[in-house]
Amino acid sequence: MSIELGHFALILAFAIASVSVLGGYAFWRSGERIALFLAQGAVLQFVLVAVAFAALIQAFVVSDFSLALAVNNSHSLKPLIFKISGVWGNHEGSMVLWILILVAFGAMVASFGRRLPSDLLALVLTTQSLLVAAFAGFTLFTSNPFARMVPAPLEGNDLNPVLQDIGLAIHPPLLYAGYVGFSICFSFAIAALISGRIDQAWARWVRPWTMLSWTFLTLGIAMGSYWAYYELGWGGWWFWDPVENASFMPWLAGTALLHSALVMEKRNALKIWTIFLAIITFSLSLLGTFLVRSGILTSVHTFASDPTRGLVILSLLALVIGGAFLLFAMRASSLRSGGLFAPVSREGALVLNNLFLATATGAVLVGTLYPLVLDALVGTTISVGAPFFDLTFGALMAPLLLVLPFGPLLAWKRADVVAAAQRLLFAAALAIFLTILISALGGVSISLAPIGLLLGFWVAFGSVAELIDRSKLGRIPLADSWRRLVGLPRTIWSTAIAHFGVGVTVLGIVATTAWETELVTTLNPGETTELSGYVLTFDSFEQVPGANFIAEQGHFTITAPGGGTRPMVAERRTYVASGMPTTEAAIETYGLSQLYLQLGEPLENTHVVRVWHKPYITLIWLGAILMAGAGVLSLTDRRRRVGAPQRAAKPIAEPAE
Amino acid sequence: MFFWFIATAVTTIACAALYYAAARRTVNASVPDSAVSNSHFRLVLAGIDADQAAGKLGEAEAIAAKAELARELLRQDAELKKPHSAGPDMGRGALLACIAAVAVISLGLYAWLGNPDMPAQPLAERPEIAAQALDLDAAVARIEAQLAANPDDLRGWTVIAPVYLQSGRFADAQNAWRRVLELGGANADVQTKLAEALMLGNGGDATGEAMQLLTAAAASDPTHVMSRLYIAAELTRTQRYDEAVAAWNAALALSQGGEPWLQAAQQGLAVAQNQGEPATNAAETEMIAQMVSGLADRLAADGGTITEWTQLVRAYLVLGDKDKAQAAFDSAVEAYPKSFDRDDLDAIALEAGLKLNGAAQ
Repeated sequence: MSIELGHFALILAFAIASVSVLGGYAFWRSGERIALFLAQGAVLQFVLVAVAFAALIQAFVVSDFSLALAVNNSHSLKPLIFKISGVWGNHEGSMVLWILILVAFGAMVASFGRRLPSDLLALVLTTQSLLVAAFAGFTLFTSNPFARMVPAPLEGNDLNPVLQDIGLAIHPPLLYAGYVGFSICFSFAIAALISGRIDQAWARWVRPWTMLSWTFLTLGIAMGSYWAYYELGWGGWWFWDPVENASFMPWLAGTALLHSALVMEKRNALKIWTIFLAIITFSLSLLGTFLVRSGILTSVHTFASDPTRGLVILSLLALVIGGAFLLFAMRASSLRSGGLFAPVSREGALVLNNLFLATATGAVLVGTLYPLVLDALVGTTISVGAPFFDLTFGALMAPLLLVLPFGPLLAWKRADVVAAAQRLLFAAALAIFLTILISALGGVSISLAPIGLLLGFWVAFGSVAELIDRSKLGRIPLADSWRRLVGLPRTIWSTAIAHFGVGVTVLGIVATTAWETELVTTLNPGETTELSGYVLTFDSFEQVPGANFIAEQGHFTITAPGGGTRPMVAERRTYVASGMPTTEAAIETYGLSQLYLQLGEPLENTHVVRVWHKPYITLIWLGAILMAGAGVLSLTDRRRRVGAPQRAAKPIAEPAE
Repeated sequence: MFFWFIATAVTTIACAALYYAAARRTVNASVPDSAVSNSHFRLVLAGIDADQAAGKLGEAEAIAAKAELARELLRQDAELKKPHSAGPDMGRGALLACIAAVAVISLGLYAWLGNPDMPAQPLAERPEIAAQALDLDAAVARIEAQLAANPDDLRGWTVIAPVYLQSGRFADAQNAWRRVLELGGANADVQTKLAEALMLGNGGDATGEAMQLLTAAAASDPTHVMSRLYIAAELTRTQRYDEAVAAWNAALALSQGGEPWLQAAQQGLAVAQNQGEPATNAAETEMIAQMVSGLADRLAADGGTITEWTQLVRAYLVLGDKDKAQAAFDSAVEAYPKSFDRDDLDAIALEAGLKLNGAAQ
């Protein structure tokens, strides 16, 4: 009966959301009663969807094959963790996870938002309920996860082996938290448009939500990239695959939103543009979530595709996105813009950042959708591959990275660019020196690599320039400098760390792309090969049974150039239920570099072994983690905390502020 | 019924929660929370001072920013003083209507979509699993004991015969089927089963009694397929190909289309027609060679996908032309220098003894 109770809970949540939409849009102006009703409704929606989700997990854990979803995506032999993560390793279940995160954010607004003006709160919660009703309705009517199967089979069909990985337990929840978090910004934007009221308090509310979602999305994308890197067996960390682009576009737009909301909060400028970005970002999130389910694309992310479902999805997208833009077109002119600034100023730098990020988003969008549209209209299949994206995206990012370190050093309203440049002189000199040194030592030919290195170092050093400047390092005693450094506001720290993370990621990308080496060879146990100074010995090859698969393991011993040996085990698994094979590459981290070893299908008398040496590749993800960490740090800043009581009299108490 | 009781209770609780949250307030009027926005303005003001102190805002700019802030504050105060254009009031009636709608939609929709009477069926509690857990040997021993007490139990012999056959006890299986024959009379299915047990016990040889039984079964039932298939297979095995062709045809004539044995029977017929040699087709080989050279020309001229290159290399290897295969592999590596892009091609080529960059060495 737990399954049916879960089903009922989801339906009840849908009913509350639907009624909230009708009641909310009819009565939002009429006072506190409707706001309280909606807030209670938001909390109830969260509790009910959580119950529905728990019912699904329970059915998967006990292998209840009277649930069609469990039959199609589970197996009684699967380890417990994959039974649980299997709940969202498919279209229907992932929709429930999506809705769960949506209602969780709604409940958070309802709980923390008691201090919001009641009409704004009512409108935000109503818009949030509209999204819940739309997606819960879509789930219940076209892809119901609670469909039963009679008679119940004795065994399930198992989950796609590629998804039977710890990555599935982490990547989708993080990514969805990012995607869905932007729905709050969207709801705030719609509320502002409907009520016609938009002020700095609005931005103060939107910015933490943007920061939170952006942090989740950053981690989600980084995790997805690392998962693809180790699981797909090719050692590629980014493929410009439409699905990856679909998650990258909201990130780019969200990054722009983060910066424009800053201008709005601090200087009351860029209001209309911020609203526009909030709508764009969530629209791209929707596009990202649903493009992969419409059946248009084929990839590891594509779950069952069904034309009816695709049509419903496209109609929903058109309705939500089209409706939002229509509202924007009708109401934007009635909003007042405010806050004047000179072109060379902090505001100006942030506008520049927004321009580049928005253009980059547009470029990725065109590259992703153009082949699809062309195929649909003309029937010509073209493929827009990595070269297009590398060139356009790279060309747009290079100038952005070039001016990035200037931004935090510029003053608001009107700034002195020469003064900022003087403070960056040291960072520039250091970046140039290091680039020349590395290029000379590494014997780099004339290519884009030194330019990339230069940009990476420049961004990394330039980002910490403000910290050094503010702490007066070298100009006053070290202990005093340290005290000043620790006492700096967290927002300054988080800006510096996030920008430093960008530089670190750029360095990782450049190093891996320029200096990666690979080797494809045939090896038998006992034989030895060599790559970039690492000596690989193939020790043995054996069959090992796993929980629900049989593994063929190749055992290798690696002797590093600096001495010392380490074992590496590369696997090929064949899953019992589906008979599908997967490769489990062996990855060994040496400092910041990695050795990546993949065992090919065993041949009659030998084995094909692929080995890559990926210098400094971990920097790519370390940079992303730094960015996300900076987001968390910024959220802990008392002055930005959601719903935190404002400190009364002395917000100027921080030293050096 | 029990489910509906719980569902109604859950709905009632949810509706009550909604009602009390909204109806609790006796004053149902919008309170302009100017305190909140004022604290916000104070915060921004403090921010301006802080920025100025940190050199992030020039002196003139700070004054301008403060002026902007003051204008904003004045504008907001003016707005709050304006008569409030409240929308339709949410009265108690509207609230109750909303709550009633929640109950009606949820219960009605569930009645349409749900399966209220369907129980959960966790695998551990399924009766089929409990049955599977029963020891097969114990079950066999129990039936054997029953048969010893009552040797005329037709059903007992019918149940145990296939179990004997599966566990390789062919003599016991033969005995069991014989008992079934005696007790139930001659029947084409049973005769075939007994013949099957005899054949398996005899290493696949169906001469003698087995063949007699099969012939009898085929004769007694003109639509019996299994016996005819065994006869045809036996004739093919003993190389009596002309008779085998007739027997295969007789079996195939009974096909309705789509049976699992159909493909095997067609292969058997082909073997018998070809006097025991597997079928070959010279024209087909010719066609393959033509297709391969067409593909090679096209790839050399225009290039192609890695799948096409893989096809070409594989085709040369099947045709036994190793030099051309090596040449095609080299061209493919030239076209796709990263092994990442070459997918399965490397494995296929290296297995066949081709060399990576063979031309270069």
